[in-house]
Amino acid sequence: MRSRTLGRAILLIGVETIFFILFAAFMMTFDTMKIVLFILFFIGIGLLFTKWDRARHVLTNLFKELKIFASLWFVVLLLTVPFVFQSSPYLIHICVMAGLFAILALGLNFQLGSTNVVNFATAASYGIGAYASALLAVHFHISFWLGLLIGGSLASLFGLLLGIPCMKTKDYYLSLVTIAFGLIIYILLINFTWTGGPNGIPNIPPPSLLGHSFKDPIHLLGYQLPFQSNYYYLIFILVGGSLVVAHRLHHSRVGLTWNAIREDEIAARCHGIDVTWYKILAFCIDAFFGGVAGTVYSHYIGFISPENFAFIVSVVVVTMVILGGMDNVFGVIMGAILLTILPEKFRAFEDFRILIYGIIIITMLRFRPQGLFPQKMRIYKKNG
Amino acid sequence: MVHLLETEKLTIRFGGLAAVNEVDLTVDHGETVGLIGPNGSGKTTFFNLLTGIYRPTEGSIRYAGENLVALPTFKIAKQGIARTFQNNRLFLNLSVLDNVLIGMHPHQDSNWFDAIFRRRYVEKEIEKGVEKGLELLSQFSEELASHCYQRAGDLPQADRRKVEICRALASNPKLLLLDEPSAGMSPAETEELMEDIRRVRQKVRGIGIIIIEHDMAVIREVADRVVVLNYGRKIAEGTFQEISSNELVLEAYLGREEKNAQA
Repeated sequence: MRSRTLGRAILLIGVETIFFILFAAFMMTFDTMKIVLFILFFIGIGLLFTKWDRARHVLTNLFKELKIFASLWFVVLLLTVPFVFQSSPYLIHICVMAGLFAILALGLNFQLGSTNVVNFATAASYGIGAYASALLAVHFHISFWLGLLIGGSLASLFGLLLGIPCMKTKDYYLSLVTIAFGLIIYILLINFTWTGGPNGIPNIPPPSLLGHSFKDPIHLLGYQLPFQSNYYYLIFILVGGSLVVAHRLHHSRVGLTWNAIREDEIAARCHGIDVTWYKILAFCIDAFFGGVAGTVYSHYIGFISPENFAFIVSVVVVTMVILGGMDNVFGVIMGAILLTILPEKFRAFEDFRILIYGIIIITMLRFRPQGLFPQKMRIYKKNG
Repeated sequence: MVHLLETEKLTIRFGGLAAVNEVDLTVDHGETVGLIGPNGSGKTTFFNLLTGIYRPTEGSIRYAGENLVALPTFKIAKQGIARTFQNNRLFLNLSVLDNVLIGMHPHQDSNWFDAIFRRRYVEKEIEKGVEKGLELLSQFSEELASHCYQRAGDLPQADRRKVEICRALASNPKLLLLDEPSAGMSPAETEELMEDIRRVRQKVRGIGIIIIEHDMAVIREVADRVVVLNYGRKIAEGTFQEISSNELVLEAYLGREEKNAQA
């Protein structure tokens, strides 16, 4: 019995490592032809996996049985990313951005995925977090770590302010209100002088931890990792935390209530659910995630301007949630990673970026509205 | 004695049309009242008034001595009034068990903070809920209980109705409103439904039920008292025997032949 478990563990390590190596190789490819070949290969594997029931069965069982072990090894692999990309900081930068967008998408998922509130104001909470922490750091020398909390809370407060008028409206009208809110924040950022106007805020100090500035490279085990690695590990922890929070909310009375509102608002009301409060709650939690991501972004790049928080950012995050899978935490993160990495890989076609987002949304909504990774039924321990 | 539910001159007008017009109705603890009437006579609208989906133009609703008018729907539900819907409104993309769990919302109390930071508490709450939900489901059908992770939207009509009643009962209601539960059911399924309603009355002591039905066999079987609506007005009230020989009622359902012929 023990040797069987050992064999399965080795198989698991093998599968995960092979995928990781493929991913790394893909990241390090810059030739468009090769990139296309890689993508076709990944799609092929995906299709094979959906068609070949036996293989899928074996693998999913494997992951289920050794769940903790599988995630531990996965974490180990992810921690080695800065070592693998040691010589190309650009690739680490892409990973950091993917993580930031994963946080934004996880936040939006509470609304779009769980509650079916289509909020186009993600960029606003992202921007509020970024500006608040940047201004505090530049003018009052408030540390990044405190800024993280303040940025998140302030964005949350704005989420509350946005949520209240939104509750007077429904469906498309609600989306319109959120679009308007996003635009108002954007225009205000351009027109206020104390936010630096269109020039934004330069020279935002990098965070430091225990005397180690995040602008300095990490020296570890004789390796010198580029300074982006600091942020990579920071984002790694933050995404992990967001994931835990999202997962816990999903598997609780709150997550279930959000789902009930998504499915049928009137029936939800008739079962004692305070729809308004739960929608506002989703607004606030989403905005908190946005504020945290914004804080990290501003301190990472060191310079922000209103352009970073334009309407298109919200659209991108909405696309990530729709592509990845509504209300599937894993799917949402995958959506964020895919839609951050692929545009970087196809820099040559940057002009068509928005067109491609449009095509993705339309195709997904038409052919697979539940996203690449659909929501799974909640299974409770007993009677499983 | 205080009635469980008492409406007085309950009225709602949509423009010039009084969909429910000065309806007085009482329900006592442990009593089942049948609400019948031709299509469009205001039965479902009456339910919507009771549950706060519509706000009455005039009249009062007293529930256990308290005024319900102007309370929002969710607060009325929290007071112990649960309902099912005419074209049942299950949460189709959620599992059977999740549907029933949502029914328990009014007396669970964990919030977002508990969900994130007090995992123990939340898990206990869910565990309790699952246990109670499975027990409820198995009272209605063992099969539903053993397939509790099925998507509610994949169930046949009769099973959906059962899940909906379970969901309503999960909130421990004192007053249960059933809106045409036998719609779209075969005679055998209807028979089973009547059995279910009888069981609810036995198990949940003191529960008041108002049931809207078109199937008179169901009304005859389960209702202690029948109220007949026509054009929003209450035209008759009494036992099934009294109602079935009442001329106004026959007229409402069958029309007045002679006069029509003369007119």
